[in-house]
Amino acid sequence: MNTISPFETVLRGIAITLVILFFMFPIFWIVLMSFQTNATILQVPPSIFFEPTLQNYRGLITGQLVTDTSSLEIRFMSNLFNSLFLSTASVAVGLMLGVPAAYAFARLKFRGSEDIAFTLLSFRFAPPLLVLLPLTIYFQQLGLANTYGGLIWVYQLIVLPLILWIVRGYFEDIPADIEYAYRIAGHRWWTTFRKIALPLAGPGIAAAALLAFIFAWNNFVFALVLASADKQPVTVGALAFITASGVQYGQIAAGIILSIAPTFALALYAQRYLVEGLSLGAVKG
Amino acid sequence: MYDKENKLIDSFTAGKISRRELLRGLGAMGLSTSVAAVLVNASATRALAQNGFNWKAHEGTTVRLLLNQHPYTDALIANLENFKALTGMNVEYDVFPEDVYFDKVTATLSSGSSEYDAFMTGAYMTWTYGPAGWVEDLNEWIMDDTKTNPDYNWEDVLEGVRKSCAWSGVPGAAIGSDDAKQWCIPMAYEQNNLTYNKRIFDANGLSVPTNIDELLDTAAAAKAVMGGGYGIGVRGSRSWATIHPGFLSGYANFGQTDLTVGSDGMLSAAMNTAVSKEYHAKWVKMIQDSGAPDWSTHTWYQVGTDVGAGKSAMMFDADILGYFMNGGDNAEAGNLAFSGFAANPEASAATPNIWIWSMSMSRFSQNKDATWYFMQWVTGPEHDLFGAREMDLVNPARSSVWADEMFRNKLSASYPGYVEMHDASAPGASIKFTPQPLFFDLTTEWAEAMQKMVANEIPVDEGLDMLAESVNRQLAEAGLH
Repeated sequence: MNTISPFETVLRGIAITLVILFFMFPIFWIVLMSFQTNATILQVPPSIFFEPTLQNYRGLITGQLVTDTSSLEIRFMSNLFNSLFLSTASVAVGLMLGVPAAYAFARLKFRGSEDIAFTLLSFRFAPPLLVLLPLTIYFQQLGLANTYGGLIWVYQLIVLPLILWIVRGYFEDIPADIEYAYRIAGHRWWTTFRKIALPLAGPGIAAAALLAFIFAWNNFVFALVLASADKQPVTVGALAFITASGVQYGQIAAGIILSIAPTFALALYAQRYLVEGLSLGAVKG
Repeated sequence: MYDKENKLIDSFTAGKISRRELLRGLGAMGLSTSVAAVLVNASATRALAQNGFNWKAHEGTTVRLLLNQHPYTDALIANLENFKALTGMNVEYDVFPEDVYFDKVTATLSSGSSEYDAFMTGAYMTWTYGPAGWVEDLNEWIMDDTKTNPDYNWEDVLEGVRKSCAWSGVPGAAIGSDDAKQWCIPMAYEQNNLTYNKRIFDANGLSVPTNIDELLDTAAAAKAVMGGGYGIGVRGSRSWATIHPGFLSGYANFGQTDLTVGSDGMLSAAMNTAVSKEYHAKWVKMIQDSGAPDWSTHTWYQVGTDVGAGKSAMMFDADILGYFMNGGDNAEAGNLAFSGFAANPEASAATPNIWIWSMSMSRFSQNKDATWYFMQWVTGPEHDLFGAREMDLVNPARSSVWADEMFRNKLSASYPGYVEMHDASAPGASIKFTPQPLFFDLTTEWAEAMQKMVANEIPVDEGLDMLAESVNRQLAEAGLH
């Protein structure tokens, strides 16, 4: 029986609207800014009425940043590609290494397993700058400096512990008896892993991959230190709009919209996996 | 390619035709102004190639540069083909945004990387890089006639600017002393002076202030007529960069220093003298009465943007920040004017503290002589003149460029008072800090103390005494007090 009064329903509607407005307003304002020139953005007082322009998006896509005093070549689209490539490749490598490892830590008991798992997690504890300087030296000696391969490798510091520890929890949630039953039916260990464990842990793996992608996407310092300008991700490239001769607010806003688009689209697509996966982890026990 | 154009330019260089005739001729040949400017400079480069110096000594060598995203870098890149033609060398470069630029430099140098041969830097940074052994003392190359071309004319670089890039490495030793090491070579620099909105000043009968008391009064009067805006923009974030522009320039004008050096070479804090306290009190009151409401977050960007947008009536900051804000699509473009500012009524001229964008050579470079070829070109009179005339390489570091009529006319036409401001201030322009290894820590703490004073969390007297005590303690811990 529904006991909610119409008045309460209205109040709830207002409360939900206020919450949505509170969280969405900055995004809404950034979208508006992305269609304005610097002059209209900086006018006092600010106004939501203006003549929209596509010049910010045009500048980003054509690679020409028009500053207050000059025209400057920028690499925003190249930065965007770098972010996409580095994040996708890192997560792919992380999944290939992390999912079997997570399964092993969840199902197999071997000497030092907890120590190894904790060591992998500890990669997340160390401040990146602490490991970056020694890494720079090693990378130069190994010829990995300023290569995509080197960056994807070092990105494993971000994605691998995340994938390993999240997915391990999901594997542990799956009753081992299901797998034993399947193996008693004559299937090999690899088939059991592929046909039983992986599908059951699918939502968890999707959630871990999405979170790892977001963490990799937001990383800033690894490429900055280890690679040259042509391999920088969008997090570093976006700073190009803050110049000595002025801050290009319109282009920053357009850059934000373009740079959150891939993760936003991915999150929308994977939303049901994400919610399901995270919930599974939450009710463990 | 460009044969006809080159002949026309050579005629201009030889004085046979005027600049107007030259540009008209190049325009008729379908060249844009920017391409024409580079071609004009190509003529100067050809002249440089005839000076008897073996410019081709490192032909085929590649030099790698680490550059900050800046108008000075734009000028460098625009003229780079001329350097390549002159030397037969190749130049590769990485440009990083300023927000992360020094992180990249520090990481590169501290790891001993040989990836970059030379890089842009500020003079303050070399107080860390030099003693750490990350950069070369460039005197070795400057003084070597076999490695430096006869037209380089090192003495042409403004004395205060040139010496500000040199330090012996001994904490407290004066910059530019006889035993100083030349850690960097200036490309261009900025003085800290007044940039004011002439439209607002004229409309409200305001006069340009000439000392600290007038500055307080004018800022207050401007705020009263600004509506939603404020009177004066100065930096306020918790950073060393809050201390070094307008604040320190005015402070130095009263003969005040950050530290004193004892006869034994030991350093002591000097921020809590009576004169210093009085100056601090006025500065704090100015911000409280007429500064930005969110002053404590203001950096270069906010101070400049606000004066360009008409939110503030004036700023006491880098002159080139005003130069940039007086152009482009800023709401107040064309309305800004410039004035030298001597805070002390007793002083005869301004004594601006300066920031210098310069080039340093990495100690880990594998091609040092070739790198010097690039460095002497990019800091030489020919490129400096090109950058100043045709690009935004302002303020150029060379006196010969400041004497160039074409450059002066360009400035005077669009930036009222700029040339006069520069000429009056340049003799007193230099770095006013005491060079020492704790520079960034101590000046950041100074800015933090200033924030507390402005927020009325602590009285000025007491705040400066506490600051001095803390500075002395840190110096003592470092064995410098």
